[in-house]
Amino acid sequence: MNELRSTIYELLVKAQEAYGTLDAIRYKVKEAGDGGKKETKVAAKTYTQLRQDSEHFSAALNKLGEQGKHIALVGATSYSWIAGYYGIVNGGSVAVPLDANLPAEDLCELIDRADATTFLYDASKENVALMAAEKCPKLQHLIAMEEETEVPGALSMWNLIAEALQRPDFEPQPEDLAMIMFTSGTTGKSKGVMLTHRNLAENATALDMGYEPGTVLMSVLPIHHAYCLSMDILKGTSVGAVICINDSLLRVAKNIKLFEPNMILMVPLMVETLAKKLEEASLIPAPLVKIKVFGRQFHTICSGGAYLNPAYIDLFKKYGIKILQGYGMTECAPVISANSNSAFKAGSVGRCLPNCEVKIVDEEIWVKGTSVMQGYYQMPEETAQTLEDGWLKTGDLGYIDEDGFLFLTGRKKNLIITPNGENVSPEEIENRIGAHRLVQEVLVRDSEGVIEAEIFPDYEYASKKKIKDLQAQLQSVIDDYNKTAPLYKRVFKLKVRDVEFEKNTTKKIKRF
Amino acid sequence: MLEQLKDIIVNYVEVKKEDIKPESRFIEDLGFTSFDFMSMLGEIEDVMDVEIDQEQVVDIRTVQEAVDYLEKLA
Repeated sequence: MNELRSTIYELLVKAQEAYGTLDAIRYKVKEAGDGGKKETKVAAKTYTQLRQDSEHFSAALNKLGEQGKHIALVGATSYSWIAGYYGIVNGGSVAVPLDANLPAEDLCELIDRADATTFLYDASKENVALMAAEKCPKLQHLIAMEEETEVPGALSMWNLIAEALQRPDFEPQPEDLAMIMFTSGTTGKSKGVMLTHRNLAENATALDMGYEPGTVLMSVLPIHHAYCLSMDILKGTSVGAVICINDSLLRVAKNIKLFEPNMILMVPLMVETLAKKLEEASLIPAPLVKIKVFGRQFHTICSGGAYLNPAYIDLFKKYGIKILQGYGMTECAPVISANSNSAFKAGSVGRCLPNCEVKIVDEEIWVKGTSVMQGYYQMPEETAQTLEDGWLKTGDLGYIDEDGFLFLTGRKKNLIITPNGENVSPEEIENRIGAHRLVQEVLVRDSEGVIEAEIFPDYEYASKKKIKDLQAQLQSVIDDYNKTAPLYKRVFKLKVRDVEFEKNTTKKIKRF
Repeated sequence: MLEQLKDIIVNYVEVKKEDIKPESRFIEDLGFTSFDFMSMLGEIEDVMDVEIDQEQVVDIRTVQEAVDYLEKLA
């Protein structure tokens, strides 16, 4: 049974008191085996170790004068990332988790815009630390997640923890800011969503999903996403789950066999690929296929982040696997509604969480309650457009049926939601591609799950430059853009127009 | 290597083996999703007993580029 927690500190302390000796986190390590060849083994940290390590890190940050300051962190999911995160927020600082897939320049811009004074990074991001040291004047400290780092002047998180300083006599309050999380904005500039301890802790603990302590979860989504951070890490911790870290998207299938999870949180893109794996072996009886792909112990997939075709729910049911579809957004810390074992309706995104209420205004879904953000960091105009009398305007269209289940029908805001749950601003990509001289007008949209750019070229310029193969030339413009963009923001379809786009009265291209 | 890769590709997308060309692009031409592609590389890791770095493979676009990358590892 879940109990409501109102700070992340309370969430971790109560979990440690209840499940202290249980494994909290399991992860892969490579060790030299017999004959010197490296072997993959599973290491683990208990709830007590997690609490202790995070409290020692809080104490070290306090000694550095970082209490109340903003601390950016970036890296792949790891025990260090999780202990570092708990250390930051529970010591009274504000965590700013960043997307490890972004180019170094973009990360430095976000570090600066978030007013971060410390940057915590893993070994793969040493280049960002070096650049940030030069480009981000507000940064006071660089801290590596490993014991050693090549970055001059940087500290080591594990050396700081080893000092085992006494945690200051301090407890974060529910209304204290805990996190700023960046999300794509409709104007092309990402927005920092401000979430308090109450927002995050109550969102993670409001709904009883029926997890038993010791339930094994495998975390496969990027940890800087609100969905993963809240549902895998915070909710997982609060119920005494064993959180297993998937080290690479390449190895999901292999790691399922290694960690033997009961549940995995996924985005629809992963559900689709795994469905193919199941159907590939359609001649073998369903229970045997399920054991081969997921193991005997596996029973539930939670899907969120983007639209899931309900046909997959029926398909997985044949194999004895339940898919629980939910709905949320970063601005709502993030879960708004979810199906659960006791309240389930196919095609719906479930009932609203008990700590929030939902109403429909001109078909748009509005949410009010303790999950709703405080606003966008230093963006009062965008905040005023999104929050009204405590109601969050989601930009999603939908309806509530007679049993209280929420159904989504479309989007009001101009944002592409990719099948892997990433929110992409078309304007951001249009601005980049449109900067090329050959491009007169460009429109970016979703087309069957991939991003498409439709371009009206500058024909005059093309003839002046004697460009013959316009399609190939424009494709190279797209290729150049793609080289600088993370995979989920890349353009995979190109359409070339003969005529200008139709405009509305304010001379803006009509999108729909 | 190309033939071996084609055999694996047809398990992930609905495409005939003879239609897979070295210049075929995984996402645009063959209909892969990014996660299909990652999963396929995971399978190749097992089949070929090699270790693939996720960060290095995000820029692979065509079948030939994948062959070149894998031949370097083997």
